[in-house]
Amino acid sequence: MMFITINTGCEFICFLAALIFLIKDKDTAWKLFIPYLLLTCLVEMTGVYMRKVAHVPNYALYNTFLLFECGVTGYMFYSLYKPFKSTGKWLITWYIIFVAVYVAELVMTHFKAFVSITATVMSVVFVLASLYYYYLKLMDENFERLAFSAPFWWVSGALFFYFGSTTCNIFFDYLSSLKPINNQLSIRYYIFILLNITLYSFWSYAFLCRYLRRKSSS
Amino acid sequence: MQISSQEIIFLIGLTSLIFLIAPLFLIIYVVSYNRKKKKHQEEKLLLQKTFENELLKTQIEVQEQTLKTIAYDLHDNIGQLLSITTITLSSIDLDNKDKTAEKLAFVEDLTTRSIKEVKALSRLLHGEELVNRGLAAAIEFELEWLQRSDKFKINFDKRNFNTFNADSGKETILFRLFQEIINNIIQHAKATEIFITLEQIENLFKLTIRDNGKGFDVEETLKRKNGMGLHNITKRAAMINGTTSINSVAGSGSEIIVTIPY
Repeated sequence: MMFITINTGCEFICFLAALIFLIKDKDTAWKLFIPYLLLTCLVEMTGVYMRKVAHVPNYALYNTFLLFECGVTGYMFYSLYKPFKSTGKWLITWYIIFVAVYVAELVMTHFKAFVSITATVMSVVFVLASLYYYYLKLMDENFERLAFSAPFWWVSGALFFYFGSTTCNIFFDYLSSLKPINNQLSIRYYIFILLNITLYSFWSYAFLCRYLRRKSSS
Repeated sequence: MQISSQEIIFLIGLTSLIFLIAPLFLIIYVVSYNRKKKKHQEEKLLLQKTFENELLKTQIEVQEQTLKTIAYDLHDNIGQLLSITTITLSSIDLDNKDKTAEKLAFVEDLTTRSIKEVKALSRLLHGEELVNRGLAAAIEFELEWLQRSDKFKINFDKRNFNTFNADSGKETILFRLFQEIINNIIQHAKATEIFITLEQIENLFKLTIRDNGKGFDVEETLKRKNGMGLHNITKRAAMINGTTSINSVAGSGSEIIVTIPY
C-alpha cells in the first residue's frame, strides 16, 4: 500500500492513458511516452521503496532518471517544432549543454546529492521551449482548435510543471535541510503533488486528443 | 531581522502558486488570441467567397455581352447579307444569261462576306479565351468589333504597357470594367470619339477611358440608385484593391481612370 501515493497514482493513470491512446500512434516522439511513463512509475516506486523500506538515499535514482526526462522531453519539443521549423541543431546543442552541466554538478557534489542546479537549468530551458512553442503557434497563420490540440495541451502541462517547480528547484537545498511538516511530508512534496496532478492530467488529455485525431483522420 | 523557516516555506509556497498562475494566464491569452485568429480566418474566407461570387457574376456578364453582340451581328449583319442573297437568287432569270452571271457573282460575293462574318462571330464566341490571351489583346479585339459599326473613332494607346501578370480573376474583372465603361459610352454619352490608354506606372496598372460625348454630373449620377453602373465599377475595382476616378463636365465628355496595383 505504501507504493500507492497521489504521485504514483497520477503517473500510473497517465501511463495507462499513453498505453491505450498512443499504442498505435505513428509518431515516434509520442509513442516514446509509453516506455517513458512506465519508467517514471517504476522509478517513483523504487524511490518510495528506497526511502521508506530500505532507508537509503534515492538521489542517485532520480539523478539517472533526469537523463531520460531531459532526453524524452527535449526530443518531444524538437518534434513539436518540426511543422514550423527545423531545430535539430538546437536539440543537439541543448543535449551537450545539459550533459556538461550535469557532469559538472555530479563532480562538484562528489556524486552524493541530487543535481538540483541541472534540474533548475533544465526547468528554465523547458519553460523557454514551451513559451517558444506558444510564440510559433501565435505566429502561425493556420488556425487549429486548441481545445483538441494534443501538442498544445502537452506543452501547457510541461509549462505548468517546469515553471511551477522552478521555485522548489532553486530552494532545493534549503527545503532538504528543513524538517518535514507533520513529521512526514515536506512542502516540496506537497507542491510536487499539485504539479504532478496538473502535468499528468494535461498529458493524459493530450494523449486522448492525439487518439481522437488519429481516429477521425483514419 | 531574522525570517523564520515557516515564513520562508510560506514564501516558497506563495511563489510556486504565482508561478502556476502565470502559465494559466498565458494559456488563456493564447486561447483567446487563437479565437481571434479563427474569426479573422472566417472573415477572410467570407471575403474570398464574395470575391469568387463577384468573379462568377463578372464571367457571366462577359458571356452575356458576347451573346448580345452575336445577336446584334446575326440580325444586323449576317441576317441582312443572307436576306439580300435570297432576294438576289430569287430574282435570277435564267433566260437572261448576262444578268444571271452578274447576279451569281454578286451572290458569291455576298456568301463570301457571310462566311467572313460567321468566322468573326466564331472568334467572338470564344469570349472567355479572349481574356486568357491577355488583357490588351482582349481589349483590342473588343475595340476592333466596336470599330466595325463606324459610329466611333477609336484611339487605343498601349505604348507604356508590356505584360500584365495578374491572375486571371483580376484580368476578367478588369476586362469587365472596360466593357461596362464602353457600354456606358455607347448607351449614354453620344460620343463620336473614344480614347483608351493602357499604362504601367511603377507598380500600378492604369486604364483610362475618355470620350468626347455630352458628359454628365458625376455627383448627381452617383446619388442615383443605379447610377449608370458607376457604383458597380467602383465596387469591382475596390475588390481587386483598385481605385476609380470619374471626371466629367457637362458638354465636354467624360474620363474614367481605373488604377490597380499588381
